[in-house]
Amino acid sequence: MSVEVEIEGRGGIATEEMTLNMGPQHPSTHGVLRFIVKADGEIMRTAIPDIGYLHRSIEKIAEKVGWHGFMPYTDRVDYVAAMTANQGWAMASEALGGIEVPRRGEYCRVIAAELGRICSHLLAVGAMGMDIGAITPFTHALREREMINDLLEELCGARLTFNYMRIGGVAWDLPPGYRDKVIDFLDHFEPVIHELNDLLSYNKIYVERLANVAPISAEMAISYNLVGPNLRGSGVSYDLRKDRPYSVYGDFEFDVPVGMGEQGTVGDCWDRYIVRMRECLQSCWILRQALDQIPEGPVIAKVPRNFKPKAGDVHVRVESARGDMNWYVAADGSEFPYRVHIHTGSFAAMSIIEEISEGMMIADLVAIIASLDIVAPEVDR
Amino acid sequence: MTGYIRNVYSSLATAFEGMSITFSHFFRKPYTVQYPDRIPLPVQDTLPYRYRGLLEVDLEICTGCLACERACPIDCIVIEAKKDPSTKAMILNRFDIDMAKCMYCGLCSEPCPTGSIHHTREFEGSDYSLESMVRRFVKVPVAAYKPKKSGEDDPEIVPILERGMRYIDEFAQPVDPKKSGAKS
Amino acid sequence: MQEFIDGLIGTTTGMEQHLAYLAGMLVFGAAVVFGFILPIAGVTSWLERRVWARIQSRIGPNRVGPAGFLQWLADGLKNLLKEDVVPDAVDARLFRLAPYVVVTGFVAAFVAVPFAGSLIIADLNIGILYITAVTSLVVVGILMAGWSSNNKWSMLGGIRSATQIVSYEIPAGLAIFPAVLLSGTLSMQGIIESQGWEPWNWHMFHSPFALAAFLLFFVSTLAEGNRTPFDLPEAESELVAGFATEYSGMRSLLFFLAEWGNLYLIGALVATLYLGGWQVPDFTRSTFLLAVAQFGTFFLKAYFFVFVAMWIRATLPRVRVDQLMSLCWKYMVPIGLVSVIGTASVMVAFPEGNMTMRMAMTGLVGLLIVRFFLRVRYHLRRSKGVGFQPTGSVAQG
Repeated sequence: MSVEVEIEGRGGIATEEMTLNMGPQHPSTHGVLRFIVKADGEIMRTAIPDIGYLHRSIEKIAEKVGWHGFMPYTDRVDYVAAMTANQGWAMASEALGGIEVPRRGEYCRVIAAELGRICSHLLAVGAMGMDIGAITPFTHALREREMINDLLEELCGARLTFNYMRIGGVAWDLPPGYRDKVIDFLDHFEPVIHELNDLLSYNKIYVERLANVAPISAEMAISYNLVGPNLRGSGVSYDLRKDRPYSVYGDFEFDVPVGMGEQGTVGDCWDRYIVRMRECLQSCWILRQALDQIPEGPVIAKVPRNFKPKAGDVHVRVESARGDMNWYVAADGSEFPYRVHIHTGSFAAMSIIEEISEGMMIADLVAIIASLDIVAPEVDR
Repeated sequence: MTGYIRNVYSSLATAFEGMSITFSHFFRKPYTVQYPDRIPLPVQDTLPYRYRGLLEVDLEICTGCLACERACPIDCIVIEAKKDPSTKAMILNRFDIDMAKCMYCGLCSEPCPTGSIHHTREFEGSDYSLESMVRRFVKVPVAAYKPKKSGEDDPEIVPILERGMRYIDEFAQPVDPKKSGAKS
Repeated sequence: MQEFIDGLIGTTTGMEQHLAYLAGMLVFGAAVVFGFILPIAGVTSWLERRVWARIQSRIGPNRVGPAGFLQWLADGLKNLLKEDVVPDAVDARLFRLAPYVVVTGFVAAFVAVPFAGSLIIADLNIGILYITAVTSLVVVGILMAGWSSNNKWSMLGGIRSATQIVSYEIPAGLAIFPAVLLSGTLSMQGIIESQGWEPWNWHMFHSPFALAAFLLFFVSTLAEGNRTPFDLPEAESELVAGFATEYSGMRSLLFFLAEWGNLYLIGALVATLYLGGWQVPDFTRSTFLLAVAQFGTFFLKAYFFVFVAMWIRATLPRVRVDQLMSLCWKYMVPIGLVSVIGTASVMVAFPEGNMTMRMAMTGLVGLLIVRFFLRVRYHLRRSKGVGFQPTGSVAQG
């Protein structure tokens, strides 16, 4: 075991700085992430992230399996909120191939994406509670997530790796009776969010753990390329669904919750957490509107089996649960993409940890990682 | 001083509220499903129709078009189909699916023209050896199925074909045959 | 117990008498440890898992025995049969010794716990002081475990735990004071006998200061027992299992046994000091029935607090180390001092006791309980959707 020795001579006392390893296997980090923490007792001097433990060369695999065959792989880029990754790839391919998705298909996509967003936020909120020590909200959040998984299982047959969307639309239409099931679920779910709020969000111990911890100002958030709830928690009202509406998001009315420093400074961990809770309620509203307004018609456009878009490249951005998911796809006119690059919100969030963790305690590092909602598959792909 | 008292009060009050919520859970039914023995139905019957479980092939209606083999992104399906020079019929010699490689994405069952390759609602496929993960559906070489233009009349094949067509009706759009490169 | 042995051995004196006493102590000690403490710790672990499970909308262990009651036996047996792993780089003697020190520290306190009027191993006249002193032995054990594991995370956990336990001794001691003042004696049986069986005759309802001291005592002993919200030393999400990370098999189970058994000790102490212990109304002449009733009352009171401790653990998140220390020194110690001085003042102002104040405090706590159940009802009804308004515009399809 190596211990780095730095004699600081503070007041005549020789102190050592510990090098701790929050290793790839750890009950708290969200996936296989590794942090090398240099700590002076409990206070951290720096926390250096080490990534790459979950790298699966997904971007390279795209060049081998082709346009249609890559869709299941996009689920695995971010397996917590898989629907929006599907949507990103589908939108990029359609932009390259000049395919227009029928309106009913777009509505099905929105319904699936919003359900997936609620899933992801529930997991983020539950895991955060558990990292701070409250074990019950985790199980309650996962119970609700199970119900959404049942709904999505009816829709597309799988609970985690959905493979629901196709180039040109979606693979299956809504099953009969689906609208009532989703509305029943939403009527059951919204009081549960309020209950989670009462149990966890305003609990004094929880607030003391999270308020004023690692506040990220709006300028710092923008300069570090934070997106999604991380950016909105810092007070910047930027949501792709509102500012650059894609698909049919322009038809819906919803608010964009923004962190306002209610319990501490703007942009601290509590703000990012409460933004996620409030976004769940907004997604419920969008779902109700989508289920009301969904038109009849086909759900998928005619796309040939050997899809060959013209050569060129395209940059598509989707608002996933963790923020902007940037898809840069380059085609060269053949059946296989030339290059696919995915840039996710968690990747940017990893880079800010080293900056904001100075002076925090080790217990706070766990809270910071949880509040930034970092999932390892997105970081490493 | 007021901040001090407010801190004490809010700690006690929020703890009180939180404890009342957790206490209320004693009066609610737990959400656990005690699979596999204490459930009213076998769990396969509780799964939805579209569930993507283990793959199965109904060889009676397989046309040997190889669309599933081409669609699979992982190359877990291996089919050997040759035209018999004497009878001009397609003979299937081999139809292996490696269930250990399969990622249950459903891309193979979409282009199938008759619905012979389909997902079942089985999910318990664990076994002790890796070789048993490869499912070989062809025991003896059989002739591939040739769909009749006037509709099927063989009483043994009719129910299988009906089930297959109902399965592929669930998909949003059957494959565009002119563009699929299918052989039949 | 001394009279019991005297009755057995007659009137021998000298060395045989001392040897008989020694044999009696060992036999009684073993009987209490194996017959009472270990099963209590095991049953507490079963109760904890079932209570947590119902709070978390799931079912706990329910396969081994009726309602999973024998799960703890199965776990204990499994751990006994596990391989005894002592990692290579640890300090072997300290590593092996640490669990035993921890268990000794907490088992030795049961000598003075009054289970019923006539059921106490040794009614020391310094009862409560002895218990407080002996439970501090646990700190030594935890520090040994953390240090000898040769693992930075374990060491952090051990040090955090040592600071925590040592700091929270002070509010705990301060909170014992009002009960001792009100009873006039340190002996456990004396403290119980100075209370009555009716709730308003318990020490906790004597005055608002005594109520504050009761709450303070409960929270400080929770902190001493390393229970959430103060379970940083074993914070699962940060340090895996803190000081007990490198332990496996029976050694780790001994740590957990000490924690669960400590819960019972906490319950027993709170019940003794502030809730009137084993006091029951005089309803029978038979000493046996009386002893059974007293034992049952004491057990139920102690177990109620065990249940509350588990319930709190399932509900509240963890406090951070510096917040723990600030809570102890800035909030609990001043409140403890105020409660001691307040209780003493009330005793001087009303030497014969003040029934009005007692009834008022009992009423206050009763009102709080009523409000609690009203909140429970509110949450149950909200979860069923009573008075539900969906987010967004009200006019939904």
